[in-house]
Amino acid sequence: MALPPRFARSTGFAAALLSSVFVLPMGATKAAADGPLVVARAMDINSLDPARAYCDTCQIYLSAVYATLLTLAADNQTIVPSLAKSWEVSPDVTTFTFHLDPAATFSDGSPVTAADVKWSLERLKNVKGGPSYLMDSLKAIEAKDDRTVVITTTTPNSEFLGILAAPYTGIINARLATANGANAKDDAATSDTSDTWFLAHSAGAGPFVLEAYAPDDSLRLARNEAYWAKKPAVPAVVLKQTADAVTQAQMLQSGAADIAMQVDPDTAKTVASPDVTFKAVPSFNYVYAAISPAAKGAPVPLTLEVREAIALALDYKGIIDFTVGGEGKEQPSPIPNGYPGTKDLPAPVFDPARAKELLAKAGYPDGFAMELELPAMNVYGVDLSLLAQKVQQDLGKIGIKLSLKPVPFTVWASDIDSPGAPFALGFFAPDYFGSAQYVQYFGMMPDMPWAKRAGVGKEPGLDGKEQLAMYQAALAATDTAGQEKAYHDLALKMIADKIILPLVSPNLVLAYRNEVSGVRYSACCNLPLGEIEKK
Amino acid sequence: MLKVVVRRLLVMPFLLLGIVTATFLLAQFTKGNPLISIIGARNLGNAEIVAAAKARWGLDGSVPERYAIYVWNLAHGDLGTSFRTRQPVLTDLAQRLPATLELVIAAMLVGTLGGIGLAIVSAEFKDSAADHLARLVALMGSCLPVFWLGLIALFLFTVQTRLLPGPGRLDIRAVAPPPVTGFMLVDTLLAGDGAGFVDALRHLVLPAAVLGWSVMGIVTRMVRASMLDVMGQDYITMARAKGAGRLRVLVHHALANALIPALTILGFTFAYLITGSVLVETIFSWPGIGSYAVDAARSLDYPAITGVTIIGGLGFLLANLMTDIAYAAADPRMRDAG
Repeated sequence: MALPPRFARSTGFAAALLSSVFVLPMGATKAAADGPLVVARAMDINSLDPARAYCDTCQIYLSAVYATLLTLAADNQTIVPSLAKSWEVSPDVTTFTFHLDPAATFSDGSPVTAADVKWSLERLKNVKGGPSYLMDSLKAIEAKDDRTVVITTTTPNSEFLGILAAPYTGIINARLATANGANAKDDAATSDTSDTWFLAHSAGAGPFVLEAYAPDDSLRLARNEAYWAKKPAVPAVVLKQTADAVTQAQMLQSGAADIAMQVDPDTAKTVASPDVTFKAVPSFNYVYAAISPAAKGAPVPLTLEVREAIALALDYKGIIDFTVGGEGKEQPSPIPNGYPGTKDLPAPVFDPARAKELLAKAGYPDGFAMELELPAMNVYGVDLSLLAQKVQQDLGKIGIKLSLKPVPFTVWASDIDSPGAPFALGFFAPDYFGSAQYVQYFGMMPDMPWAKRAGVGKEPGLDGKEQLAMYQAALAATDTAGQEKAYHDLALKMIADKIILPLVSPNLVLAYRNEVSGVRYSACCNLPLGEIEKK
Repeated sequence: MLKVVVRRLLVMPFLLLGIVTATFLLAQFTKGNPLISIIGARNLGNAEIVAAAKARWGLDGSVPERYAIYVWNLAHGDLGTSFRTRQPVLTDLAQRLPATLELVIAAMLVGTLGGIGLAIVSAEFKDSAADHLARLVALMGSCLPVFWLGLIALFLFTVQTRLLPGPGRLDIRAVAPPPVTGFMLVDTLLAGDGAGFVDALRHLVLPAAVLGWSVMGIVTRMVRASMLDVMGQDYITMARAKGAGRLRVLVHHALANALIPALTILGFTFAYLITGSVLVETIFSWPGIGSYAVDAARSLDYPAITGVTIIGGLGFLLANLMTDIAYAAADPRMRDAG
């Protein structure tokens, strides 16, 4: 029986369409060596303006597009030249003189001058964006000549070189940005209108330029063909928004992505593909528990004895096994392992018997009930709800009955500030290579965030003066050994305070296809895209 | 009927104002700090940075002041600027709405056609193995979590068999066509890019099938019940007695009438999916309204939250209107109703 011609035509079309949909080989979408490098990650971009962007993905983007005066070597310890070919630091660590590389140019071919450096760093300070605090100690910048910049700080700052390696301090083509609404004036916080322009354009001297950005979808970079240093091997990079870790792993397996950035150790174990490499490396990120004696709602005074009891009751090794399947490290102090001052710090001790003794000595032999507030999220591969359950279990053994209070991140961040949370979980990742940022946030010094929450100046043993003096000494240290010692002393003091209890520093899983090389984790820049190659 | 439509259209702006007011106030009084997405949690203790951010983003005024400014701007077509994406909310919505509509329309096609097909089989062969199988398929669509289905579908079709591509609307390495309508299928055709059209279609298959399956369950159950009800009516017996063929009775006489009650569900399901397809959008990295709404809520992005609510509210109101019109078209008794 012959089919009517119209039916036959439409059936034929449908069949052709179906076959094109299902039969087209996947190989057609597979990575080509000369194609863009595809990176799958959950993106958290809040701006593409170096002075306003403040997020993990921003670090990747900014370091790829905006060159900084200095940068961090692959050892994650050594500051090396970038736009500045050489530099000098005054003996009192307040004056920094930089000599720019004469070869350095922006992506439009114009030279990077001292005036651009002055404008960019002053703008970073005056825009008052997320990373502006990095310029808190900035006093003045002088462009001595086209190639020489002198920066002075209000107080000695031995970490200033590390700060200048942070991608947020990327140097902007001042002429181009000014023409598009940017300025570095004192009132730049309100008068600078370039935020939207930066979403579609870049004005840097890095190895890549911005090609296109679609929020919550993709960020496309193209090789800066006018790059003044070694040009990147890949012609383009696409950062593809992929929120889910399992989807990231599947994209890697299928060849849709070359690198996946947030595959957790458990997911990595489920992938059996000879084409994919998973490498766990120590990170500088960590998750901590924080005790705030000054917060409202504490069921008992959170004295040093009580805090020590809590710290001793936590099974740190068990926590690492339970939350990241052993793929993590214990971290003794709020300054992460590998940062100045952390060598040979004593490991956290798990001793529930001693914890119970201390609790009894403090007047609570039967323990007490308390709330643990946590942001309901998975961070650095650690499910904070799971971690909270482990903490609940550990403290339950010494009689402290925890009720868990998972809340959205915005609520958590607001709550810990006011009215405060007596016991909370939190997390931290570095903005640059340097220990001062940890002391500024977690140290018991006047007006510092956790110091206020802990009740510095009111709580016995937390006077604030001692750590402030140690911190000033660390910033004034003129040599590496002096800096190491000062931060080591500070770290010991922060450990003894028992306000911040680091629980786990999870390993970072570098997941990439075998044809990709040069993938590494950087303390300043997260994933340096300019170093990656593809066969 | 015309009167009803005109009356609905006239009331719509007032309903939208009510929705805007309720959303605006709820967002303002929700616990949490929206500055986190602007300056980061670490800077909340930095008074200078906090004050500058509040001034720049209009968060330093009182709630009534902010409400008045918002409504004034809204009346001038300005939905504000998103704290998170730093783009005008209108631009954000214009970029995302077509992506969601494309997905939802495809899912509705899968769900409606599949659901009606299953319902016909199920009703015609009531209590047989075919009926049980059809109901099981429908029930699974309703019960299985879409994020799980999505992951399994990706694993089977993308990783294992490689029959279909992975997440996204187009091959990640491909260059997207110039955005004209925002509908990838349409834009690739307008650009004369046949390969791009097929690629966009291939990317649409899995998310539409997963989302459509969840719709299929509702449609099957609704239409099946309606069909069984209709097929017991006298006019069906009459049609059969007059010698109408089995297929004609099923489709022409029974289905046409059985579909009327399903129209309400379809209309509201469509409106619901516009903001409710978030899990599928997340799994398939589909840059649509659903994931935008969730991210906005997570970061307390007030302008984006209110913008999405306006779109969602408008969607429901229009769906309601369209359902009434469809009802009138399907049921002559409704046309004269005032």
